[in-house]
Amino acid sequence: MINRVASSITLLFLLIAPCLSAQDELPVNPNAELIKGTAFISYPNYWGSPWLSGNFLTGEIEFTDGTKVGNIGLRYSSYRDELIYYNTYLQAQIIIDKISLKGFSYTDENGVKRIFRYQHYNNLMGGDRYFEILSDGEISILAYRKVDLEAGDLANVKRGMEYHHSYYFYVYSANKGYSPININRKSLLSKFSPSKQKLVRRTLRKNRVLISDEASFVLAWNLLKDNGITIDF
Amino acid sequence: MERRLIILLLLFVVLTGNAQEREHFTLFTDRDLYTSGEPILFKVFTSANERSGIVHIDLINSKGKMISGISKKITDYEADGYVELPDSLSSGFYLLSSSTKTNPTVTFKELYICNRFTGLPEANTALRSSDSDQLDEKPTDLIEIDGLQKEYKTRGKASFTLHLPAEMLGRITQDLFVSIAEVTPAYNSKTFFKRTTPKIDQIIEKEGVILEGTARDARTGEPFKNGIIYLSVPDTLPRFKYYITRSDGRFNFQLNNYYGKIPVVIQGYDRAEKRPLKITLDNRDSLRSEAPVSESWTIPVDLRKNAANNIDVVNFRKLFNHQELNIAKPTKRQPDPYPFYGVPAEVIVPKLFIDLPDFTEIARELMPGVKFSAYNRIPTMQVFSPAHYGYFKNRPLVLLDGIPVRDLNAIKNMGSKEISRIEVCHTERYYGYLSFPGVVAIYSTKPDFTRLLPADDLIKLNLETLQPEVILNSPDEQQTNEMDLRKVLLWKPNVKPGPTITVDFKPSDVRGNFRLIVRGKTKEGTFFYKEQFFEVN
Repeated sequence: MINRVASSITLLFLLIAPCLSAQDELPVNPNAELIKGTAFISYPNYWGSPWLSGNFLTGEIEFTDGTKVGNIGLRYSSYRDELIYYNTYLQAQIIIDKISLKGFSYTDENGVKRIFRYQHYNNLMGGDRYFEILSDGEISILAYRKVDLEAGDLANVKRGMEYHHSYYFYVYSANKGYSPININRKSLLSKFSPSKQKLVRRTLRKNRVLISDEASFVLAWNLLKDNGITIDF
Repeated sequence: MERRLIILLLLFVVLTGNAQEREHFTLFTDRDLYTSGEPILFKVFTSANERSGIVHIDLINSKGKMISGISKKITDYEADGYVELPDSLSSGFYLLSSSTKTNPTVTFKELYICNRFTGLPEANTALRSSDSDQLDEKPTDLIEIDGLQKEYKTRGKASFTLHLPAEMLGRITQDLFVSIAEVTPAYNSKTFFKRTTPKIDQIIEKEGVILEGTARDARTGEPFKNGIIYLSVPDTLPRFKYYITRSDGRFNFQLNNYYGKIPVVIQGYDRAEKRPLKITLDNRDSLRSEAPVSESWTIPVDLRKNAANNIDVVNFRKLFNHQELNIAKPTKRQPDPYPFYGVPAEVIVPKLFIDLPDFTEIARELMPGVKFSAYNRIPTMQVFSPAHYGYFKNRPLVLLDGIPVRDLNAIKNMGSKEISRIEVCHTERYYGYLSFPGVVAIYSTKPDFTRLLPADDLIKLNLETLQPEVILNSPDEQQTNEMDLRKVLLWKPNVKPGPTITVDFKPSDVRGNFRLIVRGKTKEGTFFYKEQFFEVN
């Protein structure tokens, strides 16, 4: 019995030995040393939330050269269109340099993967922004998750200001640019030529898709795409 | 019980034993006899399971000392390039080695090099490597050379066709390598291998060379853990990397896709700013073991004649500045979209204002939000942070032409005439695990880095990174009224195998015996060649 135990321990040791290696002390996440940014300064405390997500969520960023850094705490500020990263080693909140990124993604509290792309918006009030990709492809559906600081009801709101959601949605293609769209059935139908609208209605009805919110809108869009019904863009 | 022990022993052998396969490179050169000041053209075939992306080619003397070396990117398990022979080499046998950081086998090619000023030594003997583990290369009759005549006139036009049967084509892996060069009948060099022990935990070089070193406590000499090592590459937009040293004080930087010679500054310091550091960089030790064993060899008379002829040719070519090779311009790295220290909040150009004698005056007059004082010979600097409504307590990151400056005495005497522009960031900047309370980046009018003095914790060097692509100059590009003294008439290291391959070449003004050689590698890993000789008169 003793022999058996001894030989089992030796066997276990032999199996483990080749896998053992020295533990590195630093850095915590070797890829995180590529992240450049500035210190985050807290926003004024008003009614509403300037954030898209309540907490830091584990996500991944992609640099312009294609390098990806994963497993880091991310939080998207809709108010300033900034991506904040929590550096566990420095215990600091850092605004990642927008110009260094191609995009980022994280899984939200509901387990849904949210993908954002940093790209140029060339219409009115143009500039480089983070757009959430609701549906990707040759023609994509993008959301610009903007939060504005607006004057609220003076009776209920601290200092008379509140963070107010004003999301914008676009149909986007690299060649044609951006075309605004509303999250409703009428707006979706308007993107198709009159000859196709009947087919769109029939397809949605057959598949029992009722456009009532963002999720159902994206579902309808993807359904039409899968059925080869393309918009006139 | 015994059976159990045997099983355990077998398990141990299986788990710890490394495959002892003979996986090596094969190194070929254009010739065997060279003169100092000439380039050696080389071609390397690596094994199919080579993990490294970079091969190192080093010139080593008979005592095992490395003279010069280059690094070349491996593409499709092949690499080709050149090694420039220094003018100062004394005559004798040398070794050209090819190695990677991970491969345990180093391949050596023996060469004879004559000094172009002193010629061959008077003694009739020379020490030559006696290693016997030589390259096994087999001649093949399957390749047919068609159209190559036995004699050519100088400056003629010539061509030949290679015929490769389907049976041969099916067996070839990688490209063929075709060359025509003058032969030295009296001397045949050897290619041999040496098995060495690569360092443990070697980092695999994939896209560029790796710079490695050790940081030590300057007082005790002990390896320094958690020291910060900066690597700066000055450029229009400076590049910057850092490394936090491990418990053994080791650090490394991967310089991916850097080509040619680049200026590099390496600095090290203690995060707690308590102990000074001494940083040392690793030397490339391609030999990794003792020098190969040598034996005495009598220099043949014909070799002396050939060497004397070579020296005249090289001296003539040097005199008239004939370039044997056309070196491709190193691929320009895509510039970063913005400086590593961030988009500056302010850019100050001192020459737009009245001349100011030193940095104290410049900071005071032109840089709002930057406090600089040089009292008691210990200059200090602080940057104002609008977000905090006050000055940062600690010193900002001060850069001089993209290189971090730790001793501000280096900049205190810089006046308007020495500075082309100053960029300031007023926010707290983060770079990975480093944080800087503001940034002041000074760009001088003469970025020669002489203001930064080498010290134990600062190394300035011109680092040889990857060698760019090179092609043999054709005579068309040279003037026709000048002597054409090429000894290498053709050098095509990457010829795609096909049923028929037609190659043109031009004999030079050099009279003598030349050899056309076609080399290749089979799928089984063996090497074959087909050669044919001709004379130019």
